[in-house]
Amino acid sequence: MDTLELLVWLIPLPPLLAFLIILLVTRGNKLLSDIVAVAAILGTWGLSLTVFFNAISTEHLGEHPLRAAFTWLPLGESVETSFQIGAMVDPLTAVMLFFVPLTASMIFIYSTGYMATGHYWTEIKGGHGHDDHAGEEGDDHGHEMVVDSAGRNLVRFDATAWKARFMALIALFASGMLLLSVADNLLLLFIGWEIMGFCSYALIGFWHNRVYPNQPKRITPMFAGIKAFMTTRVADVIMLLGIAWLYSYTGTLSFREIMYNEAMLHALESSAFPNIVALSTLTVGGVIGLLLFAGAVGKSAQFPLHTWLPDAMEGPTPVSAMIHAATMVSAGVYMIIRMYPIISTGFHGHGFTPTMQIVAGIGAFTALFSATIAVAQRDIKKVLAYSTISQLGYMVAAVGIGAYVAAAFHLMTHAIFKALLFMGSGSVIHAVEHGEEHAHHHGHHFPIDFDAQDMFNMGGLWKRIPVTAWTFLIGGLALSGFPLVTAGFWSKDEILADAFAHAPAVFVVLAIAAFLTAFYTMRQIGLTFAGEPRTHAAEEATQTDWRMNLPLIILAFFAITAGFVGVHQDFPVLGRLLGENPFHHFVGGALLEHPETLAFSFTPLILSIVIALSGLLVGWLIYVRKPLAAGQEDPLKKLLGPIHTLLENKYYMDELYDWAVIRPSMWFAEKFVYLFIDRGIIDGILHFIARSVEWMAFRNKDFDTHVINGGADQVVEGIGGLSDSFKYVQSGRVQQYLAVAVAGLLMLVGVFVWTLFLR
Amino acid sequence: MFTESIPFLQVVVPILPEIGLLILLLTVLLVDLFTRLVRKRTLGVVTGVGMIVIMLANLFVGFSLVNDASYAGTALGGMIRYDMLALMFRTMVLIAGALTAFISIDTPVVGKQGEYFGILTVATMGLSLMSAAADLMMVFLAVETASISLYILAGFLRDSKLSTEAGLKYYLFGAATAGLFLYGLSLLFGFTGETNIYNLAAPLGEMFAGDDTGAFAVAVALLLLLVGFGFKVAAVPFHFWTPDVYQGAPTSTTAFISTASKAASFALLVRVFDAVWPVEVAVYWTGLLAAMAVITMTLGNLLAIVQKNIKRMLAYSSIAQAGYTLIGVVALTETDLGTAAVAFYMFMYVLTNIAAFTVISVISNTTGTDEIADFAGLSRRSFPLTLAMILALLSLSGVPPLAGFFGKFFLFAAAVDAGYTWLAIIGVLNAIVALYYYLTVVKVMFVDPNEDTRPLVITPAFAAVLWISGVGILLMGVIAAPWWNWALNAAQSITAMAP
Repeated sequence: MDTLELLVWLIPLPPLLAFLIILLVTRGNKLLSDIVAVAAILGTWGLSLTVFFNAISTEHLGEHPLRAAFTWLPLGESVETSFQIGAMVDPLTAVMLFFVPLTASMIFIYSTGYMATGHYWTEIKGGHGHDDHAGEEGDDHGHEMVVDSAGRNLVRFDATAWKARFMALIALFASGMLLLSVADNLLLLFIGWEIMGFCSYALIGFWHNRVYPNQPKRITPMFAGIKAFMTTRVADVIMLLGIAWLYSYTGTLSFREIMYNEAMLHALESSAFPNIVALSTLTVGGVIGLLLFAGAVGKSAQFPLHTWLPDAMEGPTPVSAMIHAATMVSAGVYMIIRMYPIISTGFHGHGFTPTMQIVAGIGAFTALFSATIAVAQRDIKKVLAYSTISQLGYMVAAVGIGAYVAAAFHLMTHAIFKALLFMGSGSVIHAVEHGEEHAHHHGHHFPIDFDAQDMFNMGGLWKRIPVTAWTFLIGGLALSGFPLVTAGFWSKDEILADAFAHAPAVFVVLAIAAFLTAFYTMRQIGLTFAGEPRTHAAEEATQTDWRMNLPLIILAFFAITAGFVGVHQDFPVLGRLLGENPFHHFVGGALLEHPETLAFSFTPLILSIVIALSGLLVGWLIYVRKPLAAGQEDPLKKLLGPIHTLLENKYYMDELYDWAVIRPSMWFAEKFVYLFIDRGIIDGILHFIARSVEWMAFRNKDFDTHVINGGADQVVEGIGGLSDSFKYVQSGRVQQYLAVAVAGLLMLVGVFVWTLFLR
Repeated sequence: MFTESIPFLQVVVPILPEIGLLILLLTVLLVDLFTRLVRKRTLGVVTGVGMIVIMLANLFVGFSLVNDASYAGTALGGMIRYDMLALMFRTMVLIAGALTAFISIDTPVVGKQGEYFGILTVATMGLSLMSAAADLMMVFLAVETASISLYILAGFLRDSKLSTEAGLKYYLFGAATAGLFLYGLSLLFGFTGETNIYNLAAPLGEMFAGDDTGAFAVAVALLLLLVGFGFKVAAVPFHFWTPDVYQGAPTSTTAFISTASKAASFALLVRVFDAVWPVEVAVYWTGLLAAMAVITMTLGNLLAIVQKNIKRMLAYSSIAQAGYTLIGVVALTETDLGTAAVAFYMFMYVLTNIAAFTVISVISNTTGTDEIADFAGLSRRSFPLTLAMILALLSLSGVPPLAGFFGKFFLFAAAVDAGYTWLAIIGVLNAIVALYYYLTVVKVMFVDPNEDTRPLVITPAFAAVLWISGVGILLMGVIAAPWWNWALNAAQSITAMAP
């Protein structure tokens, strides 16, 4: 192992150390905790960039990745059979090392600003107040108390109370994501995957005592955390089955040994799945691919396990930016790109396998499905959440049609501009919350359920928070695929071009989704920034501090430029200018089978430009040209009628799950397992035994009273005369112990004699 | 026997730790004589640091010489066997001794008594000899040297009824089983005329194959030895002393008995049973031990659930842990993995249990009792202490990535490898049961409200022990391979160079 390969190991380390340091040492000091966390992530960024620049300057990195492995778990009497774990940097990991530490660093800096102020409503229970965490004090003095519709006593709670803990958790999260990125085998990847799962749970429910007065239907952070955890758990178990099967089939989980090994891939391809008629076209590799894909469905929030992600927006906004946009949800897509040779088992450039059809189908469906929902949302973060699901659907669909390089490209650009958009929205929310506080001081009264995230409470913010507005516009245009000058255009165009060439059906679906994407993005920008303020809170909104603005500006820069690494070489003018599509050549070398370069075609390009621009135009006509006035309804409502209601309610998916899964499970747990099995059968048997014994005991009572007690009493009286100090020792217990021991010995002799002579 | 002169080094090296401990003993007694009461902390520091120095020296010498043909094998006229197994278990015993000395520094009463540290050193010496003994005479001498010292250590608090009771009970029970054990040893000598354990197998094999009487006699000797070992490792039905002694003895002594004594006993058990019993007998004793393993872990775990006192709970837990470890002993006739798993498990157990008892010491120093209820709200009183306790409890219950997980993994892997899959399954089921009572303590630490707000003092000595054991638990778990390789070498060494 030379120094560079050791550096790869060190990449996940600084945030992990930061987590431990904050937890054990600095948790009482917010400023110090901020410094530790930010220093750690910047250190990691430095390490990553060093490795990254070395990686991209290495010739044939795909054939000779940077790799440092060691024997971890011995599985037998020799070292050869041991399980090796290691860190590896191949082209795909190098891409991750470019954007993960970048977005993470920005979000860390942003968090130090975002978590510095704010309040929310919380319930006071039985006079105890809040849990007092050592070294972290909640400040709820000097605020009014109200009683909500459910009769609960509520106070305003200082949202910054647990800031140190927040920094510790996001540091642990970053460490998990980086571990996943540099892992050279599925097990280590899965460990990182689960660390992130836990952190996601803890961070979504970070404000675990927050309640929403007078919004009884709104999910609280605590339950949102549980929901996210449970939903992804379902997927993770299926994924674990896939990992176990892969291991038992191949004897290794190392990416290189499976993916870069023709014999292994051939074996996975040639063995048909045990003959169940309906599945007879599946190979073992295909089924394992499907199981692994299930993990990605959970983690990357694909239909039908997507419902947790919108609710995950209950977490603090930096969390939404990092976990639910830039990194963790990308992990699912990263994994299936990584596992592409297994998912595409049997696919050699033509004839999609059943597994790939399923992957492409779910991806494309999700892309369209959630784009339609995003159109009708009022909450600024919910729009972005559904947009994230939709964009992840693009990537999944791209993997399904064999365009994994395009998927990786979009993964990178999307992480950057979506992190930008989320942080922008956080900045907006922050500004409106501040506006509310200001207006409150100026004598304006707000209803208790005033929602600072509702876009209909905003408007006219362009002049109040210009930095946020400009950067948000850049992010939004990138998301819409605004031609030529945004990163999102290039990556989305590559997916669409691939789909156009190989799978026209997927292209149509994705194109419609692209139109909707452009439309809802413009709607969001219009509702938030255009026109005049619709509430006093929006009127008094102010730009926030530099810690929140700086990351926005840096990410906006990348949201424009990051796309230029993947411009097709035959693209007019730009293709020549920017070199021979470096991204495609770099990432394409990651696998044994290099992907063919798609011939350049103008048709999908022009189509995607037209689609994006028309979406933006429609949005502009409705929401920017004639900005909404205060109290005005969404014009879309009239336009779409009942469909709008359906979309606004997310196709009633949550209600469906509640009815089809949650209630039956609760019923099963309550009525069947608890009342029937536990209380009925098991307790019944126990009671029966107890009664029988009681009955026998009663019958034997006479015998007991006269014979046994009589004898024992005499012994006790005899011993009782001995000296007091020896009471404990001479109680007869040691003799009893020894008697049992000797009885045990005799019993063993008996057993032995029996086995020896009387068998 | 000593017809030719043996080079000095070949005499000294195999008993290097014992020589070191003897010097340390004299040093401790001298220090005790010349220090005033207020500065008595020096005693514990000298003992602990001394043992660590001895351990490191022994490791250094051991790794360079243990595979050297002129040192390896039996030494000192066959009394001692110098091999990797001895080296590994001596290391464990010395670590346990050193950490116990550090804990003792701040344990009330015992921390200021020179005798306590002196006897601790002698006990360590006995246990170190047990790890290497290769002759029936040496076996008994080593066991008794250790045992008698431990009786005194257990009853050291003369003013505490519980402690004196513990010492006396331990002694009575130990004396009785020692008698049976000695009787078994004498039978072996009587049958064969040999005392070196490596010379017994052949004549015993003949005798066992001979007639029914001979077979029965061998069986009786086997069972008598089993009683002795059953007592030492606290296996059912020879475990009754454990809860009373663990509860009554000073906490530092409990830590020592539960770790060093158990480890050395397993070293001896593995060595003796592997060497003494011929192949024909193996079927029987493995069957018996398998049954004992099942009963021991099941009973230990079930009884641990209902305990209110943390030391009693850990006593039953340690019975259960002995049960798991017996699985490895059962497997050793079939595969080297068995012995290796025992060695690995004991190493991790020494570190883990000492960590747990250290936390208990800190808390009982403030509260004066050892109830599980004392742990209520510990997470809000002292987070580092909570973290240490969680590490220990999760390691004991076998949660990855801590050392305990790999310990159990290797034990069960050895069982499966040796064809005892059912035993591994029972082990896993027991581990699930055990998780309940270990996690109950975690729940108490985090969820239960704390009434007590007195500060918990983590003295430098306690902190040192917690750091050493905590890092060890993590290290043996996250990077298990080097330790496992060491254990495998140890396992191979007991058969590799048998004379």
